[in-house]
Amino acid sequence: MANFSRRNFLQTAASTAVAIHVVPLHKALAELQTERQHQPPNWIRGGRIRFRQDGIPKVTGNKVFAIDIRARDMPGWPEDQSHALILRADRADRRFEGFNDALLPDDLRPDVIVTDAEVQRDGVTMTQEDFYGRLFLPRGEAPRYLGQPVAVLIYHDYARFRRAKGQLQFNPDALLWGGDAELPEMAPYGGARFVRIGGETPDAPDRFSPLSDTLVFADFENASPWPDADAQGDAGGRAMAHAKALREELQSPPENWAVYQGRYASQYVDPAALEPDNGNAWYDPENGALHVVVGTQSPFTNADHIEKMVSNSRFDLSELRLHPGYTVGYGQKEHHVLPYYVALAALYGEGRPVRLALDRYSHFQGAIKRHPFQTEMTLAVDRETGMFQSLAADLRANGGGVKNFSPSVGQVAASALQGIHYFPKSDIAVQVDASRAPTAGSMRGYGTLQSMVGFELLVDEVAEDLGLDPIELRRRNLMHSGMKNTQGAIPAGTLRAGELLDAAQADPLWTGRAERKRQFEVDNPGYLYGVGVSCVQKDYGTGAEAALVQLEITPDGRLHMKHVASEIGCGSTTSQMLMTERHLGRYADSVDFAVTDWPSLPLQSNDEPYTMSQEEQDEAASDPHWVPRITSPRSASNSAYYFSHATNEAARLLFDLGLWQAALGIWQDGIGGGQAAPLAIRRDQAEWRDGHLVASGLQPLSFAELARRAHDRGLITGVTVHTFNRWAWATGEFEVDGERVSGAIDALSVKWGEGASTAKKARMRDGGYAFQPRKKVNYPPVQRNNASVVYYAPLATIVELSVNPGSGEVQILSHKSWMECGNMIVPELVSGQLQGGIAMGIGHALYEELPLYEDGPGNGTWNFNRYRLPRARDVAVWSQQGEVIEPLSATDPPKGIAEVVMIPVVAAIVNAVHDATGARFHETPLTPDRIKEALS
Amino acid sequence: MSDRMISVTMRINGEKTGPVDLPEDLMLLEYLHEYLNLTGTRYGCGQGVCRACAVIHDGAAGAEPIPACITGVAWANGRSFRTVEGHATRDDDGNVTQLTSVQQAFLDHFSFQCSYCTSGFVAAATALVERLEAAPIAPEDVEDVVLDALNENICRCTGYVRYLEATRDVILNTPGLTRAAVTEENPS
Repeated sequence: MANFSRRNFLQTAASTAVAIHVVPLHKALAELQTERQHQPPNWIRGGRIRFRQDGIPKVTGNKVFAIDIRARDMPGWPEDQSHALILRADRADRRFEGFNDALLPDDLRPDVIVTDAEVQRDGVTMTQEDFYGRLFLPRGEAPRYLGQPVAVLIYHDYARFRRAKGQLQFNPDALLWGGDAELPEMAPYGGARFVRIGGETPDAPDRFSPLSDTLVFADFENASPWPDADAQGDAGGRAMAHAKALREELQSPPENWAVYQGRYASQYVDPAALEPDNGNAWYDPENGALHVVVGTQSPFTNADHIEKMVSNSRFDLSELRLHPGYTVGYGQKEHHVLPYYVALAALYGEGRPVRLALDRYSHFQGAIKRHPFQTEMTLAVDRETGMFQSLAADLRANGGGVKNFSPSVGQVAASALQGIHYFPKSDIAVQVDASRAPTAGSMRGYGTLQSMVGFELLVDEVAEDLGLDPIELRRRNLMHSGMKNTQGAIPAGTLRAGELLDAAQADPLWTGRAERKRQFEVDNPGYLYGVGVSCVQKDYGTGAEAALVQLEITPDGRLHMKHVASEIGCGSTTSQMLMTERHLGRYADSVDFAVTDWPSLPLQSNDEPYTMSQEEQDEAASDPHWVPRITSPRSASNSAYYFSHATNEAARLLFDLGLWQAALGIWQDGIGGGQAAPLAIRRDQAEWRDGHLVASGLQPLSFAELARRAHDRGLITGVTVHTFNRWAWATGEFEVDGERVSGAIDALSVKWGEGASTAKKARMRDGGYAFQPRKKVNYPPVQRNNASVVYYAPLATIVELSVNPGSGEVQILSHKSWMECGNMIVPELVSGQLQGGIAMGIGHALYEELPLYEDGPGNGTWNFNRYRLPRARDVAVWSQQGEVIEPLSATDPPKGIAEVVMIPVVAAIVNAVHDATGARFHETPLTPDRIKEALS
Repeated sequence: MSDRMISVTMRINGEKTGPVDLPEDLMLLEYLHEYLNLTGTRYGCGQGVCRACAVIHDGAAGAEPIPACITGVAWANGRSFRTVEGHATRDDDGNVTQLTSVQQAFLDHFSFQCSYCTSGFVAAATALVERLEAAPIAPEDVEDVVLDALNENICRCTGYVRYLEATRDVILNTPGLTRAAVTEENPS
C-alpha cells in the first residue's frame, strides 16, 4: 500500500485563490462581544489554575458546540434556518433506484433534494474520493457499503422537516430498490510487514529492521501480496527471507523454546462521542461566500478540502469561513466525512443556512467506527529463563466501506503489538480489508488497543504455563532504555514501565489477591473473584507533527498567544496557556486558539512528509519558507508533547531575545555598568520567582518592567515559531539582530518593540513580524518514518472483579493504575484522562459491540438502548485509584496519554475473569452470554 | 409524526413562555432548541437513555430531573422547568455573576471534559441536592445516594469520578443535607 499517513492531506491554504479562514466558533460568536479569550476571572490561586479555561461557559450551558448553533446565532447570517437530513442505504444487496418521494404527502416533499445526479451535473465531487468515498450512490448501482449516503433532503422549516423525517426514518420503503446485485470484490486497503532480526545482543546493530532497511508494503495486485523471499535481493526480498526463516524456526524450534499460539478478536465499536456529527452552513450565492460551522477534530483539513470541493464545481467561491466549535470525538471527528455534506447542503440551500445534525441513529449509521481486528500470534519463549525469543504475528482488520485511515491504523497496530516487551526478532504482518460495513477510521488507540490487548492476554497465558508471576514475566522481558522496538528504532529517553510493574507487584491488590479471593468467595457464595494485570506503553504523535505558536508581549506587560491548538475536551487549550510559565514566568493572559491564518510566518508545504524522498526533502528544505507540513489536527494524543514543545520553544526564544536582553539592560544601567558590573551574570542563572526575574543576586524585575523596557528599547517583543517532528525534532539556525540563534524549530519570525528603529519596523512586513530566513535546518531523515514509534507513555492497571457464573455478569470491584507521563502540566486534567480512558476501556472489555453488517449500525436502527456504554456503577467509581510516578527531572517533557489510558484495563479485565473462572477468553466484549458459554 | 397543533404555555427558568401553537408530539428538548434557542440542554440519544438532555421539572414533588428528549410538550404544558442556562445568577447583560454550588463544584473538581453531558449532570446533581434539603441523609450513605442519583447520566469522557466526587463534596459540605448517623446511642 502507499505509505498513506494519518495526516497527509493538509495543503497550504496559501496555494489557493480563495480566502480561507478557520475561526473558532467561540470567536466567531464573540465578534459581537469581545475579540479574544482571556484568562477567566479568579482563575489563578496560589500560582495554580483553579479550573479549565473553558470551564465557565461549559458549565453554564453556553453555546460552545457546533450543534448548539442556529442561523440566528451567527453574525451576519440570515435568520431563517433550513434543516437537512441524509438518506443512507440500509442494504447492500440490491440496486438503488432512488428516493421514494411518493411516500410523502405533497406538503412534506423536500424543498430541495440533492442526489448523485445533482452533484454530477454541478461538478461537485468529494475531495480525496478514495479516502472519504463518493458523495452519493448513483441510481442503478448497488451500495458499496451499509450506510452509504444516497441523498440529502432539505426543508426550509423545522415543522415539516421533523414530520418528514418521522415518516422516512426506519421506513423500509423510503428508498426504492431494483434487482439483486452482488457486492463487487474489494481489494484490501493495505498491508504492511515489520520484520526485525536483532544482532547478537540488544545493543548490537540489527541484522535487518524497518528502520535500517525497509518496511514492507503489500501489493494486492499480485497473487501473493508480499515480495518473494530473496536473501540476496532487494530490501523487500531480504525482509521476506528473514520472515520465512523466522517462521520456519517457530515451526521447528530449538529444544529449549516453548512456542505458544495466541489469538485475540477485538470487536467493532462506535466511539460514541456524545455530540453527534453535525454542522450548520450558509452559502451566500450573491458573493460566493461559504460559512461553515462544524464539529471537527481536523478543521484545517476540512477547510482545505471544502475549498477544493466547491472551487471545482459550478458554484462560485470567493471566501470560505469555517468555524469549528469545541467538540469531542475520540477520533470519530477526525477526517470524518460529515463536514463535506454540511457544506454541500449549504450550496443547495437556496441562499438559506442549512443545519445538518445527525440524530443518534444516523450517527451510528454513518460515523467513523473502530476497526475490528483478528490477531494471531506465535511466541517463542526460553523455558528456563522465560525470555521471549521470537515473535510472529498476523493481524487482519476490517476497515468497512471506505478507506479513510485504514492502512495507517493497520500499520500503527502492528508496530504497537509488542507493548512494553523486547523481542530479539519478530515478523509482524498486517492487512486491512474492505467490506460492506460502515467505515472504520481513527479511534482512540488507533489500532494499538486491538494489538496490544491481544499480546497482553498471551503473556498471561505464557506466565501461567511457565509457572511465573505474570508481572515477573513482563519484567524479565522488558524493553529497557536504549533497546530497539520492533521497527528497529530506539525509543525516546528512559523507559520506565519497569517501575510501574514494581509498583503493581508490591501493591496489596496483587500481593493479597489469594487471600482476598478466598475471603470474597466466602462472603459472597456463588460468586467468583479474580484479579488481572496488564501493562502497556503507547505512542503519541503521528510521525509528522507540526505546530505554530506566536507569543507577544504588550507594552503594559501582558502576554498574548496565538496557537494552532483547538479544544476536543482534553484540556489542551488550558494547558497551552500554562506552558509559557517556565520561560516567561507567566501564563498567557489572552489567547487565540485554532489559528490557521499565520501572516506572521509565511510558510508553504507540499505536505508529503511520509512519502517524499530524501532528495526531495533536501531540495525543498533549501527554501526557508518550506516546511514538511504546516500543522496537525487535534488527535493522536499530540498536544501535551508536540504542541507544548512549540509553545516552549516560542517562550524560550522570546525570553532569550527579548526579556533577558531587557533585564541585562536594566541591571547594567548606570555608571560603570550599574548593579551588574560587580557580578558574574549568566543566562542559566536566571529564574522566575513570584512573577519576578531573578539572577545572581540582582534586583528582581517584574514581567511588566521587562515588557516596558523591551518595548522602549525596541528589543524583540514577539516571536512566531514553527516546529516539525518526524520521531525527532527538526532543528534550525537563524541570525537575529546579528546573533546566531538556534532551536528545535524550523521557522521563525520576530517582532521588535515600539521603540524599534525605522529600519527594523520597515522589516516587519509579515503580519507585523519580520520573517527570519533560516541559515541552516536539519530535518529528520525520511527513513525515520520507518521508526513508526519512538515516543511512549506507559501505564499499568490491576483490576479486581467478581463474576456471577449463573448470569455471566461481571462486576468491577476496584482497579488501580500507575502511569508515567513526564511532568504533568495540569494534574487534574491528567487524572481526568486516566479515569475517563479506563471507563472507555471497561466498555470495550465488557459491553460495547456492534454487528458489522445487515444487523449492524448501517441499518439505521442502533442507539444507546442496545449499545451499552459504561455507567458510573460499572467503573468502580468510588474504589478506583490512579498514581502518576514522579518525573526524573523538572525538564522531563509531558507525554501524551489520552490513548494509553484505555488499553491495559481491557486486558486486565480479561485476565481477571480468567483468574476468577479459569476460562481463557480470546475475544471481547466479555458479555454474559460469552462467559456463560465458556463456563458451561 | 402528528400535524395536530396544541397551544402550550410553560415556565422555563422562571419565565413564562407561550402560549404558542406547537405540534402535539413535539418533545420538550425540541421546544427548547428550535423555538427558544436554549441549546445548553443537549441531545444525546433521543430515547431518554443517556440523560444528556436532563432538565429539572419543578413539580409538586419538588425538583426532579427528567429527560427532555422524550418528554412531550403536551405533558410539559402548564409546568415549570429549569435548564442549565437558568442555574447560575446572571447580570442584566446575561453575564454569569454567581455559579450554583453544584456548578462551582463541577468547575473546581475539573469534573467535565468535552462538557456535552454537563447540563444533564448539573440537573441531576442539583435535583439531588434539593431533595436532600427536605430529606437529609446520613453521611455514610452519601456515596451510595450520589451513585444512585447520577448513574442514569452517561458521560463518555470522564469516567464519572470527578462528577460524583464533586456532588458528594457539595452534599457533605452543605449544612442540612446530611444528618448524624443513626446509631443505638443516637436513635433518631
